[in-house]
This record gives sequence, C-alpha cells and structure tokens, in this order.
Amino acid sequence: MAPSPPTAYRPRKKRKPEPSTSNGTVTLDGSKTEQPAFPLAAFFWPAKGTNTTQWIILPLTLMLVFLFRWFTGMWPYSGHQKPPMHGDFEAQRHWMELTVNLPVTHWYFHDLEWWGLDYPPLTAYHSWVIGRIGWLVEPEWFRLYLSRGTDEAGLKVFMRATVVVSEFLIYVPAAVLCVRQLVRLHSINTWESSIALTALLMQPATILIDHGHFQYNTVMLGFTLATIASMLAGRPLWSCIFFVGALGFKQMALFYAPTVAAYLAGTCISPRLDIPRLLGIAIVTLASFAVLLLPLMLGTSYDTYRNVPLPSDATLPALLSSLPWQISEKAWHYPYLTQLAQAIHRIFPFARGLFEDKVANLWCAVHTSGLHKLHNYDSALLSRAALGLTLTSITPPCAILFLRPRKELIPYAFATTAWGFFLCSYQVHEKNVLLPLLPMTILLATEGGMKAATRAWVGFANLLACWTVFPLLIKDQLRIPYFVLTGLWAWLVGLPPVSIGAYAIPGEEGGLSLGSKLLHLGTYAAMVAWHVVEAWVEPPENKPDLWVVANVCLGAAGFGLCYLWCLWRLVEGSGLLSDLGLTKRKEEALKRKQ
Amino acid sequence: MADQYPTLLQCAIPATALKVLLWPAYRSTDFEVHRNWLAITHSLPLREWYYEKTSEWTLDYPPFFAYFEWLLSQVAQFADRGMLEVQSLNHDSWQTVHFQRATVIGTELVLLYALHLFVKSSPPSSKKQAHAAALSILLSPGLLIIDHIHFQYNGFLYGILVLSIVLARKPSGLLASGVVFAALLCLKHIYLYLAPAYFVYLLRAYCLGPRSIFKIRFANCIKLGVGIAVVAGLAFGAFVYYDQMQQVFSRLFPFSRGLCHAYWAPNVWAMYSFSDRVLIYAAPFLKLPVNADAVNSVTRGLVGDTSFAVLPDISPRMTFFMTLAAQIPALAKLFFRPTWDNFVATLTLCAYASFLFGWHVHEKAILLVIIPFSLLALKDRRHLGAFRPLAVSGHVSLFPLLFTAMEFPVKVLYTVVWLAVFLLAFDRLAPPSEKPRVFLLDRFSLLYIAVAVPLLVYCSLVHQLVFGAKYEFLPLMFISTYSAVGVVGSWIGFLVVFFTS
Repeated sequence: MAPSPPTAYRPRKKRKPEPSTSNGTVTLDGSKTEQPAFPLAAFFWPAKGTNTTQWIILPLTLMLVFLFRWFTGMWPYSGHQKPPMHGDFEAQRHWMELTVNLPVTHWYFHDLEWWGLDYPPLTAYHSWVIGRIGWLVEPEWFRLYLSRGTDEAGLKVFMRATVVVSEFLIYVPAAVLCVRQLVRLHSINTWESSIALTALLMQPATILIDHGHFQYNTVMLGFTLATIASMLAGRPLWSCIFFVGALGFKQMALFYAPTVAAYLAGTCISPRLDIPRLLGIAIVTLASFAVLLLPLMLGTSYDTYRNVPLPSDATLPALLSSLPWQISEKAWHYPYLTQLAQAIHRIFPFARGLFEDKVANLWCAVHTSGLHKLHNYDSALLSRAALGLTLTSITPPCAILFLRPRKELIPYAFATTAWGFFLCSYQVHEKNVLLPLLPMTILLATEGGMKAATRAWVGFANLLACWTVFPLLIKDQLRIPYFVLTGLWAWLVGLPPVSIGAYAIPGEEGGLSLGSKLLHLGTYAAMVAWHVVEAWVEPPENKPDLWVVANVCLGAAGFGLCYLWCLWRLVEGSGLLSDLGLTKRKEEALKRKQ
Repeated sequence: MADQYPTLLQCAIPATALKVLLWPAYRSTDFEVHRNWLAITHSLPLREWYYEKTSEWTLDYPPFFAYFEWLLSQVAQFADRGMLEVQSLNHDSWQTVHFQRATVIGTELVLLYALHLFVKSSPPSSKKQAHAAALSILLSPGLLIIDHIHFQYNGFLYGILVLSIVLARKPSGLLASGVVFAALLCLKHIYLYLAPAYFVYLLRAYCLGPRSIFKIRFANCIKLGVGIAVVAGLAFGAFVYYDQMQQVFSRLFPFSRGLCHAYWAPNVWAMYSFSDRVLIYAAPFLKLPVNADAVNSVTRGLVGDTSFAVLPDISPRMTFFMTLAAQIPALAKLFFRPTWDNFVATLTLCAYASFLFGWHVHEKAILLVIIPFSLLALKDRRHLGAFRPLAVSGHVSLFPLLFTAMEFPVKVLYTVVWLAVFLLAFDRLAPPSEKPRVFLLDRFSLLYIAVAVPLLVYCSLVHQLVFGAKYEFLPLMFISTYSAVGVVGSWIGFLVVFFTS
C-alpha cells in the first residue's frame, strides 16, 4: 500500500495494541497483501488498523441495522387485511387492548377464542406498557371489542416502532455485551468483534419474523443473550435473573432451561463443591420468579379488594381441582391460586396436537412425508414418545456441560439443547427455529468463528432456517423481503447461493471436510431447486402441500445435521474423549506435528 | 497499490437491498407522473405525446426522456398492462409499483458505471480520495430520498452527467463528453443550468488552440457541431417534422409558475422571503409600506405568483440576469485556465448560481450542486471546508419532501449515517492545502452543523407538540432558511477557494 498523504488528523493518544487477527476475517492473496475474507469484512476495512473508536463504529452499525429492520417493517405483517382471524399482529394488539382495558384478574380469563392471552406475565406487562403509550397516541386503536382487526396505517407504524424499540432496549445491548464477553474470552480484536456483531444483528430469520411477520421474539432472545453474557462474565446470579426474564416473556425459553440448569449446577460442583453458590442461585431464581409474578398478584389483591368478579364465562382451570389438597373458595389465597393456575393453564396448553401447521422437525417430517402416519396413535402415547426422545437428545449436551462447566462450551450446549427440543419436542412452531439459531450464530464471535468451517456451519443453519420459514412468509406476502434479506446476509458472510468461497478452502487449511462440503452444497442446491419449482410448477392436485412437505423434510434433515455438528463440537471441546482415552490430546498431537 | 475496500460494487449490493426493501414506502405524485408518461408513450402515436392532457401530469420533459419511457413501457407490458392505459389514472397495482421502482434501481447502474470510470481515470496519487468521493455519490441520501422514496430517475440522469464529466478528463474524450451532455439535455432540460460551463470549456479546450485562442481548430468545431446537431436532430427532429416545436417548448418551459416552489428551495429567494416575512412585523416601526394582499401568499405554499409585502417584487428577467452575473466570473476563469479541475469547479459554481438565484427552483435541484462538488471535495482541505456545510444543508433541505411517519426515521437516520461516515472519511483523506485556510470558516461550519440537531428536533417533534397543526409553515420556513444559510455560506467559501487558488 502506498504511503498515505499527510493529513492533519492526529490521534490524541496511542491506544494499547490490540490482539492480532485470529478470527478469520482476513485472507492473503498471492502477493501477500491482506484481503477481506468475505464482503462484510470489507465494509469494516477502512476502520482496520486505525484508531477509529467503538464510539463511532458501534452507533453507525446500530443505525444501519435499525434501517434494515425499519425498512422490512414497511412490508405487510401477518394477517394484514385477512379477516376473520387476522394473525400475530392482531394477537399482540389484542393483548394490549385487553391489558389496558380489563382488570388484572381478567387477563388470563378473557375470551380464549379471539387470541386469548397465552404468554407468561412479562408479555402481559409489556403489552400493558405499550398499550398505555398507544392509548395516549390514539385510543381508537385499543378500544375494548371495537378495535378488533384494526389495520390502520398509523397503528402499523406504532406497532412496528414498539418492536424496534423493545429490541433496541433489550436484544441489542445484550448482543453487544455478549459479543464483548466472548471476545474477551477468546482474545479477539475489537475490529473483528464489530464484524461478528453486525453479522449477528443482521440475522435474516430474526428480522423477517419480528419485523416482517410481527412478533416480539427478540425480547426473549435478548434476555437469553444477557443470560449467556452473565455466565461468560462469571456472574451466575445475574444470569438467573435474566433467564427468569426470558422464561417470563415467552415460555419457549424452556428450550434453553436444561442448559442453564446444567451449567449453573455444574459450576456449583466443579472444580469443587460450592454450597453457598448453589443456595444463592436457588434464592435468586425463586426471588426473580416472585418479582415476575408480583404485579399479577398485586393486581389480583386489588381486584379482590374491589370485589371484581371473574368473567361470567370463566371456567376454573382443571389444574386447580387436581391439586392434592382441597381448597375452599373462602380461603384468602384462593383468588391468587386461581390466577396462577389459570395462567399456567393458558401458557402450557397440553391439549393441543403434537405439532402445528408444518414445521421442519422430526415428527412433522415423519408424519407428512408418509414415512409413518402418526394420527393413528393415541395422543398420550405420542406426547410420551416426544418427551422421551427430547430427553434423549438433550441429555448428552446437558451432561457434558454439567461435568465440564466451561465458558467456551456454553454456546455449543445452548445450541445443541435447543436443536434437540426443536427437532423432537411437542408443540413446536416453525418460528421457534430462532432459538437454536441464536446461540449458534454467536459462535462467529469465538476463536476462529469466522474461518471457513464455523462460518459455513453457522451460515448453513441460518439460511436453512430462513428457507423453512419461507412458506409462512409467503402467507404474509413477504417474499421479496425474504429474498433480499436472506440473499444479502448470505452474500455478506460469503456463503452459497451467492458465493462458494468458503467451500473452496481445503480441509487442512481451516475449511470443511469433504463430506460436510458435499452435504452443504447438496442442501443448498436442493434449496435453490425448490425455490425454482415452487415458483413455476404447480403441485399435483391430490397433493397440494407437496412443496411444503418437501421443505419440511429437507429442513428437518438439515437441522438434524446442525444438531449433530453442535454436539460433536461440544464433545470435542469438552475434552471428555481424550480423558477417556478415545482420542489423543490436542497438545500431544500438536507436539508430534512439530 | 492495494484495492480500496469496500469496492463500489460491494457498496452497491447492500444499497440495492435497502432500495428494494423501500418498494412499499411512501411515493409522491411523481410516481403517477411517470406512470402517466409510460402510458402516453406506449399507447399514443408520437405526434400526440406533447398534446395529451387527460392527466394533469402532462409530459414536460424533453423527447429523449419520452423515448426512454417508451423503452421502459415495452417491458412494462409484461408486468401489468393496466399501467399503460392513459385513462387509468392513479393506477398503482403492486406490479406497477414494483416495476417502476425496479426500473429506477436498474437504470441507476449507469451511475455505478460512471463512478467506476471516474475512479479508474483518477491519477494514482488521488485514487483513494476519488474512491471515497465515488462512494459518497453512490450512497447519497439525496438520491435515496428523491429517487427511491419520492420517485424520480435522478440516479440514471446524474450517471450520464458524471459520465460526461469523466469523459472530459482526457483530451480524446472531449467530443464524446460534449455529445453525451447534449443527449443529457435532451433527457432533462434542468441541466441547461450547467451548459455555460460546458460551452466555455469545450470552446476553449476543444475548439480553440491550446496555445493561442486565435488559432481555431475548425475540424474539431465541425465534429462537435455535427455531433450536437445529430443528437438534437434525433431528439427533436420528429417534432420539427410535425411542426410542433412551439407546443413542445411551451410544455418544457412553463413560465407561469412562481418565484419560489411550494416548499421554498434553500436559496437566496428563501432568505429574501424570510426577510420579507420578518419585515411585515418590523414595518410599522420602520415606517415602511406593507402590501396587505401579499401578507398571506408565500407561506400558504401555493404554486403561483409570489408577491412580497414589504420588499420589491422579483421578475423572471431579474433572476435570469442575476444567475448569469453570478456565473460569469467563474466562466472567465475557466476560459483562461481550461483544466479539468477548473471545469468541474465551474460546473459547480454554475449550478450554485442557478440554484441560488434561479426562478422557481425545486429543492431537489440541490443535487446539481452536490454531485459535481463531491468530485472535487477531496482535492484539499480548503475544498472540504466549503463542502461540509453544503453536505449538511443540502440534505436537510430535502427532508420536507417526506412527511409520513414511517419515512421519518429513514430520512433522518440514513442521512446521519451518511454524513458521519463520509465527513469522517473525507476528513482523514483530504490532503492539506498549499494555501492557509480561513480559520473562521471552520468554526462557522462546525457551529452550523451543530445547529441542525435542535432544528430537526423542533421541526419534527416540538412544533407538533406545542402548536399542533397550526403554523404548519413554520418548520418548513425554518428548514429552508437554515439550509439557505448553509448553501450560501458554502457558495461563498467555494468562491474564495476557487478564485484564490
């Protein structure tokens, strides 16, 4: 590079030197000059090696990722102008309507048929806050009963803004912190961490579901990131609080619960037994749950005090009568128990089917592909089978993390467990794929995370996940944002179908092994072919869902691979195999090479 | 020399992604204007194009643009035939929207190519700077707001302009540059404002001898004359044949419009109108006569004749002479020192003059100044000093174009990101100047940029909270007066730089 002309710019002080590159954003071409390994790194090139502070790069990155989110929000949302039931947008709006207008005791009892509230209390409080603000802007959007199915342009802007604001208050700071902790753990320089953070925040599936389809997943995912960040920072008590927040916002965070438990329990027994820590974790967790329920209970006591009756059509939750002891309606704690039981009844609807719609998990794939029809079986049997299989799939990662509670293993264990749940458990939605994706994507910020091998796997999971939610996005008229955002992300991180650079690197130089390469490229080819077929060929008349079924089956197979890969990396990283003498220690292998 | 990262193409890809995501965004009546032109050129014979008036948005661009619309309409029929009916006013099926938006993105490739040539043709010592300038034009918030939200084809047109400017860099390209510019004039006649600079430069550098102005190179004169005549003939020949030139010209130059456009463009007349408004309140104390009829005219924002309450009225002729007077010094300097840098500087100054003093100037015309200036902004720190207030004021003045809630964060954040990235990058890349800078100017521009923040907060939030829907003109007036100060300030700064170097 030619010497740059003298400029008047003078850095005020020398910063301490950053750790050298170790994350694979840079490659050397033939003439020994550095080159960005993939386009996203090129965008940060001007900041490389200069003293550009994080105070400039970070706000600019955040503003840009905001723009992509906001632009996606200009497209239709789920259920836009689709009577009678509309969609998730209406559900969220309706929760605001009911929390703002009804007494607290009615929240979990109100009309189940029209998008009854079936999320944990934190979502209810969140809806209440937003509903209150929205009421100030325009009360007509949240009038009880009258506002159902409203789809005004102003309401759309307001609701889209609430998603972005919630995300920027919770998910984005958590992502920044989590990446920082990972970077500190793996000694990666700041420049590369900005790239990893941008890749994480540009994840197409999250943007499409939250800002296109319309949901508030990033709040729950943000709490999860905060949990991981606290674990990495060595603050287990904070991680309990954040994780209760995640669970309290969306019950789907249960996908992560076994990992969290395994890690926290593991840190209490190794390297040595630490009873105070165990007690602390237990107390903080219980206290967090108490705080989570406190507003609901306070509201209940206020309503009891005012003698507000339950809605006339309210049926008492079955849970209440199945309690081992008899409680009288006169008891002081009766209304509180009723509320709790009803909330739990709503949040965990055991009566629903094994899977809903078409989701790329094991059950749906087995059923719809015609391999084995499942509706002949008793639903109790099926749910027991699901439980058994889920337990089988999550036991290995949780056991490893429990025995070896190392910080490096946390993302892998989170991802493996979540994949296990997604593939095998009961009542999974296609949108839940965001849960395993998140811990897998933060791998980009780990050592070598942006080298070809890890980047290829992370990208594979992300792109496949987007592809499996595509049938859902078609319903929401989000085809174009899907192609734009997914294509852009694939291009940014240098992956198929846009670039096959990551697959040109031989296995010995940090690339994938030949088998993985073939599997990946084959899957990508199938995905592209599927899009061509889906767009131009009508499915046969007796099988109208054929394309969706193909999508589900390929998706489930690909996610299975992701599960296995995460599990393998976890096993490898834990060092259990070498301890058991199955493989040689890394150090020994290295020594021999030298 | 290593390549510059990110490359032009690498920047174009995410920019295109953003632009595609903007398809459902707000669009102005210009969308319907262009849809109507597609319909006119597709379904009517050539001789009716400039007479058709079913829609109020009649064809008022020169013939090449009409031919361009005809070409697009050949593809449009595969997207949605409905948009090609003259009668189907305000037709906006999603196919139509997507098609028209896509054509804006597609034709912008001309700009990408022109900028690529610009970087390629720069000397190695200033490649880095040229690359940064090219990126700043490619990612310009002005083009994003005007083309991809408001809806116009400026990316395409400015691409041709940049192409013509870049061609003029080498003596062998001068003829082509002149012909390309002639074609550009036949696409959109707003570029007539730049024509004096082209005329002087081509005259001096191409038609007259390099040593002496008395050695006329007749062969070159003939080549250039024939080239321009062929372009003009291709454009207007058919209309001359049909004997419609008068009608065509009456469509192209409607002089019945007022001095200021509905939103005041940030020019001298905006400051003049603002002073007039202020004088209405001061007049009783100064014992000046007030024209009562005019008190309510400018702020009502109607496109019509503007009359002033206190200050003397302005006629089109006056604006014309003032524009010319402001252009002549720069043209004279270009005539005696016909270098490419002086040519681009003179283009910029011609654009400044016509923007500041012209009749019925649109705020969108500020791109006419910003884009040529960007090519020069990194010449040295003195140029950058003059460019900075223009970059801020020029883009802030475009904000009133978009007034819907959904687009508000788009225009503000995109512009803030662009300003932060490029002002920082330019600051690092601009080489120190040989002459000392005027220190005061820097302080002024910093203060000026800082004022933008409270101004925007007031205009977008505080005003509505305090006054509601009342005094709607106030924010607009503040923005245009604020921007006018910046544009005039950067003009004066640039004049100083140009005439002292």
